[in-house]
Amino acid sequence: MNDPLTIAGREFRSRLITGTGKYPSLQAMRDAVVASGCEMVTVAVRRIDLDEVGEAITDWLPEGVMLLPNTAGCQTAEEAVRVARLARAGGLPDWIKLEVIPDPRYLLPDGEETLRAATQLVHEGFTVLPYMLPDPVLQRKLEAAGCATVMPLAAPIGSGRGLKLRHTIEILIEQAEVPVIVDAGLGAPSQAAECMELGADGVLVNTAIGQAGDPAAMARAFAQAVEAGRAAFRAGLIDESQEARPSSPITGLVTS
Amino acid sequence: MNLLVNGKTVELDAPATVARLLGELGLEGPYALVERNGEPVERERYSETPLEEGDTLVVARPVAGG
Repeated sequence: MNDPLTIAGREFRSRLITGTGKYPSLQAMRDAVVASGCEMVTVAVRRIDLDEVGEAITDWLPEGVMLLPNTAGCQTAEEAVRVARLARAGGLPDWIKLEVIPDPRYLLPDGEETLRAATQLVHEGFTVLPYMLPDPVLQRKLEAAGCATVMPLAAPIGSGRGLKLRHTIEILIEQAEVPVIVDAGLGAPSQAAECMELGADGVLVNTAIGQAGDPAAMARAFAQAVEAGRAAFRAGLIDESQEARPSSPITGLVTS
Repeated sequence: MNLLVNGKTVELDAPATVARLLGELGLEGPYALVERNGEPVERERYSETPLEEGDTLVVARPVAGG
């Protein structure tokens, strides 16, 4: 089935994007990325500790997987723009997963600062994938600013609570002009499938894979769930009904 | 010359460039990201970007993250 996810003109066969954080080891991360079949992974950008340089994550990523730098840790538009510029100047892709998060408890994004940063970064030629609360008004503004996707959270980052914001994400999907990638809060493959059945264009998963008992096996399970959910969406789900609808003929009963 | 790199003083003989600093630090790999005095430095210009006494540098790289 040829059904690629297209972001800013670039095609991805896999609709699963994975984060590289929270794995027990870089080897476990690599194995999970391979098992997931994903073609794009997120990375954070941090200062190098000169006293303990350690290993470079890029030495552990499979060939051909695209790096998507994020602006995690940034609390203002200015900080996010600074990180994006640093990443691009140093040779990372000019794609940026834009996160502007001032709130440490729920890690909810600041929509106003995100929009401000997105506008600036698009102006500077970046392909911007903004993390956002599923707010349909903000979605329109981010699209108008030239963002390549919107990335609404299903539930708070790392919470594993699933598609808690389903009803507003449905509105985002309905009115979307750019791909909707559900990002954050998914804890189980069934929840990823639910997003895809709704019509989301993709999902981004990190904690649920990285912290699983067997990350590679869980990565494979998420990949299968994303594929199943997408196939179900394309196949066309039935409408729900409050009452039962018999599956067998109601006439010609043997006992009539 | 003395440079402030990620908040630490680093001594380097003059004349120095960004590329030489990265070499001294053992960070010649593909994704050492450099900011000099608040401005990002383009990778293609690492070997021709001179460093001066008292420069403040940030040297970063991609790390595991979501």
